Order: sequence, then C-alpha cells, then structure tokens
Amino acid sequence: MTQLPTPGATPAAPPPSEPLPTAAPPRPRWRETLGLLARNPTAAVSAVVLVLIVLMAVFDETLAPDGPNDQDPSLQLQPPSWDHPFGTDEFGRDILSRVVLGAATSLRVGFLSVAFALVVGTLIGLLAGFYGRWVDDTLMRLMDVLFAFPAVLLAIAIVAIRGAGPANAILAIGIVYVPIFARVTRASVLGVREEVYVRASRSVGASDWRLITRHVLPNAAPPIIVQTSISLAFAVLAEAALSFLGLGPRRPNPSWGLMLADGRGFIDQAWWYTVFPGLAIVVTVLCFNLLGDGLRDVLDPRQRTLMAGGGR
Amino acid sequence: MTSPSTGAPDVLVSARGLEVHFPVRSGGALRRTTGLLRAVDGVDLDVHRGETLGLVGESGCGKSTLGNALLRLVPPTGGTVTFDGADVTRMGRRELRELRRRAGMVFQDPFASLDPRRTVAQTVAEPLEVHGLHPGRQARAARVRELLQLVGLDPGVAARYPHEFSGGQRQRVGIARALAGEPDFLVCDEAIASLDVSVQAQVLNLLRRLQRQLGLTLLFISHDLSAVRHVSDRIAVMYLGRVVEVGPASAVAAEPQMPYTRALLSAVPLPHPQLERSRQRIVLRGDVPSPSRVPSGCRFRTRCPDVFAPCPDVDPALQPVGSAPGHVAACHLHGVVGTPVERERPDAPVDAGDPAA
Repeated sequence: MTQLPTPGATPAAPPPSEPLPTAAPPRPRWRETLGLLARNPTAAVSAVVLVLIVLMAVFDETLAPDGPNDQDPSLQLQPPSWDHPFGTDEFGRDILSRVVLGAATSLRVGFLSVAFALVVGTLIGLLAGFYGRWVDDTLMRLMDVLFAFPAVLLAIAIVAIRGAGPANAILAIGIVYVPIFARVTRASVLGVREEVYVRASRSVGASDWRLITRHVLPNAAPPIIVQTSISLAFAVLAEAALSFLGLGPRRPNPSWGLMLADGRGFIDQAWWYTVFPGLAIVVTVLCFNLLGDGLRDVLDPRQRTLMAGGGR
Repeated sequence: MTSPSTGAPDVLVSARGLEVHFPVRSGGALRRTTGLLRAVDGVDLDVHRGETLGLVGESGCGKSTLGNALLRLVPPTGGTVTFDGADVTRMGRRELRELRRRAGMVFQDPFASLDPRRTVAQTVAEPLEVHGLHPGRQARAARVRELLQLVGLDPGVAARYPHEFSGGQRQRVGIARALAGEPDFLVCDEAIASLDVSVQAQVLNLLRRLQRQLGLTLLFISHDLSAVRHVSDRIAVMYLGRVVEVGPASAVAAEPQMPYTRALLSAVPLPHPQLERSRQRIVLRGDVPSPSRVPSGCRFRTRCPDVFAPCPDVDPALQPVGSAPGHVAACHLHGVVGTPVERERPDAPVDAGDPAA
C-alpha cells in the first residue's frame, strides 16, 4: 500500500532535482517574437533593410530625383556621377530614379504572386498530406501536371490566355509556384501527421480542422517559411524574366527585371545599367532569405528558450 | 469491481470478438494487398467500472492496438466494442465526440505526446475548448490551474512549453490533459515505460491516487509485470492479438493457468537474492510468430512447453480455470473448449513459426 497524499494539498511535490520552470513573463507572444528577432543580428538587419525597401517602394514618387521616363538624349549611357549616382541608360534616363520607381512593381509582383502560391499551395499540401489516399493522389497528380511544364512556358501560356500585364504576370508566377508549396507542405505534413501529439489531440476529441490548424500547420510551418522567403526571391527574378519576354509590366515603366533585361544589351559599354538594378534584386532577395531563416528559428519554442536564456 | 448486491460485475467497456487487421501492402504504385496483419484478432474483454485492469503481453502482441481500438482511435475491422452500453463502432460524429470526452488516453512517450509549439496551458485546455467546458477565459484558466494542481504540478508553469519539463513532469501534463474532460475511463498506454525508474513510481502512485479520488476506470497497458501487479485489480494477458488469460490480479500472479502466463511471470526477477537464486525460469523457445502468419488452433502452440494433440485443431475459448471466481484462460489443458479449425488456412501454414522446423 502506498502513502496517498491528502487531496487538496499540493501533492507529490517533485524532488529538488527537477526544478520547475519559473512562471513566464506575461508578455504577448508576438512582442516576444519581435524581441527575439531583434537579437538575431542578421535577421534584424535584413528586416530593417526590407522595411526600407518597402518604404522606398511606397514613397517612390517623392524619393526619386527624376521622373522615371524623363529622357535626355545628351546624357546617354553616362557612368555614375554626382548628378546621376547610378548613371544613365541609353535614353539618358536616371537609373537611380528608375531603380527606386521599379521597386514598387517588382515587390508587388513578388509579394502577390508568392502570397497566391503560399495560400493555394499550402492548402493543397495540407489536405493531400493530412488525408492521404485518394485526396493525396488526386491533388498531387494535378500538381505533377503543373510541375511537368517548364515554368516559363507555363507562365507564357497563362499570359497568352489571359493577356499580358502585371496582374496576369502575378497570376502566372503564382500558379507556377503552387506545386512547389504543395510539395513542401505535403512532405512536412506527412511527418507531423504521425506525431503522437496529433493522435493525443484526436483522443480528446479534436476535429480534423482543429488538428490541421492548431497542430499540423504550426509544426509543419518551418520549411514553408523558408520556402516562402526563397520563392519571394525567385518571384522577383521570374518577374524579370517575364518582363524580359514582354509578358509582365510594360515598358517604359520601370521594373528591376525589365531594366536588367534592357541593360543586358549594353553590358560591355555600361556596367552600371545592369549592376544597379541587379544589386537591388540581390539585396532584396538576400534579405528575404536571411529573414526567413531567422523567422524559422524564432518560431521554434525550443530555439526560443535557448535564445531567450543565452541571449546577448 | 463487483457490485455487492448482485455479484454481477458492472461493465463499463466491453469488447466482443474485436478484430483489428491491417492490410499488408506490397510496395510500388499498385499497392496490392498481399496479406493481413492480425494485430488484434478476436478479443473478448470486459473492463469493470471503477477497476484497474492491467493488460500485459510482450512487444507486438497488440496491447496498444487493443487500447486504441477500444476508443476507436484505430478503427476495428470486426467485432464490437461497447462503452457504457453504447456501441462504439457505430457511433456518429456527436456520440464519438462525447466518447472522447468520457474516455481519455495517456501515451507512452511524454516527449512525443505534447505539441512542442503549445504551452502547457494550451495543451491542458484543449479538451475544454473542444467540448465547450468551463467557457470563458477566466474559468478555463482556473480549471487548468486546478488540473495542474491535481496532477502535482505548480499551476505557475501553465505558460511554459513542454521542452522545459522533465519526462515525469511532462507525463503529468499528459495526464492532466486526459483528465480535463472529467472522463470515466482512462487508457494508460505504457504510460510509465519511458520514464526513469524513480519517476515511474511517482507517476504510478499518482495514477492510483487519481483513480481513487476521481472514481476512474483504468486500463493499464504495460509490459512491466511488477508495475501491473502493483496497480491492477485484475490482469489480462495478451498473446499474438488475443487475450489468453484474465483474472483477479492476485490469482493470475499466484496461480497462472496458461503456460504463456507462467512463462511471462517466471521472467520477473525477485528482489530477494536467495529467492532469486532459486527462481525457476520457464524459457520459451523461438520467437513470437508474425501476426500476419498466425498459427492455426491455439496461437501459442508453436512455443508452448505443454503442447498436445488438440492444440493445432481447436482454437481455444476462454474458460473458467483455477479457484478464484472470474479467472478464465484459453488453454486446452483445462479441457478442450473452442472452435475446430481448418488446418490449411491460406495465410497460416501449420508449421508457421515453428522453432523446431
């Protein structure tokens, strides 16, 4: 017969060798997330740079020294100077102004197309991975069909059907990335689905919807977050490719991809023509990737505690 | 437990001819079914209200699958399960949800059974949210504190994440979650197997205390015979998907009536060195046959030291044995009772798994 602790009193106090974690500070979770992100220098710098780029895109008209299409035939292909820090293009337009004004187009196409792919692809991947069987077979074969087309060809087909223009470029890039998100999500969900805590949650009566939204998705999220940051990078590049083919934003309005494409023809005479829009893409893409990595770490509670404990 | 007035046990959960068969599929795109894995294969078992029933057996004998099938966490492929009179296998959505409230489960590995991204409070409150119990933030938080206190945890830890706890503490959280809906029935699936020995005792005593305090009915699944003997009122022994002996814990432990149970009990080391030296071990030969190739007749016959003529031909039924009331075993040594079988079952050749072969 074992000694029964009296009910009511706090029973069976754990031995001192198992110190209980102390109570958590009552800080809201998102504030804590931001705080931890700020302690990761790479992610913090990336976030700041991205905010600056977005602000630049929002206030482009105010910030740009010249109009995007102000031509000056006497200043064709001038190297960087005090008047034109990024140089000029073949029509004598100020490249700095065009980089600033192109940010809006490139970012909008990037954000919206990835947002589309993220929502649709993740949903498809969740359903396929969670329910398996015929749902999985049907959805993933459909994704395979999309995947089988070369991305640019598929985008061209979509734009050919729907007509050229930024909106259709967004849709085309979005559709091209849907299968990637679907696959990444499905693979991640397949692992999480079998976790005991999912079964445990089912055992207390949680519905499928609850299992998917509260347990499966949050635990399957890290690869999706990373995929999002990578895709944002690729979407900016894809926008460039589509623009290059004349299927995205139209000339003469600037976009980074378009400028890169146009500058290609002058690369031996005017390096600044391609280098500055290219740098803009590189910096943006790099920041997205670094921020994605940082987010993945911060959203993991285990990493969180490590970082909060040994934080600098 | 036996109700004193009638003498008939008050049955809370009951399985009759329960089967859980998994198709064995070949690899490749066509996924043809090439066989059946009989994880649970015709189990008859009653769990009496208010008792602790220990379910023992070696690894892979279907203990956990049986526990899961009783709660329909694994869909049974045959037979029936009744919970408090209602047929579990035919429950609709709503009834099933109510079953999930009334029957909880404590899992083996407390490092896997708690969602790493949810705080202890969120985990323990989940059943409350699912079933709409204690509505309102304040009431839920209060209930969570109460539950944490009930399992011996400091309510101040509610906002912490599982990785900040030790195994024993996590298992307490798992128990608190299982108790949140005020269940009648708790399945403890190897609930102490992955804990340190010192912590095992703590959790075991916690379960006993909770059972008395809350009037729970407990199905205690374990391969640890001494733990089972410590907590159980009755013990059921499982072998290869079938319950082969059931009886009062003292009777099964003191006078096992089925050769398999005897062998199982003889493997338990004794604490006293002198007794331990003189302990007679019955060492079974060979391995457990694969549950996809179950021997005909008595499924234990391929390893049984006492095998004789009727064993391959008659599938033994549970029959009263020994002196204690309610002690039953499926063994022909106590009289040949059961269903005659065709020896040429396609998926179970006569000499399947025969160690002598």
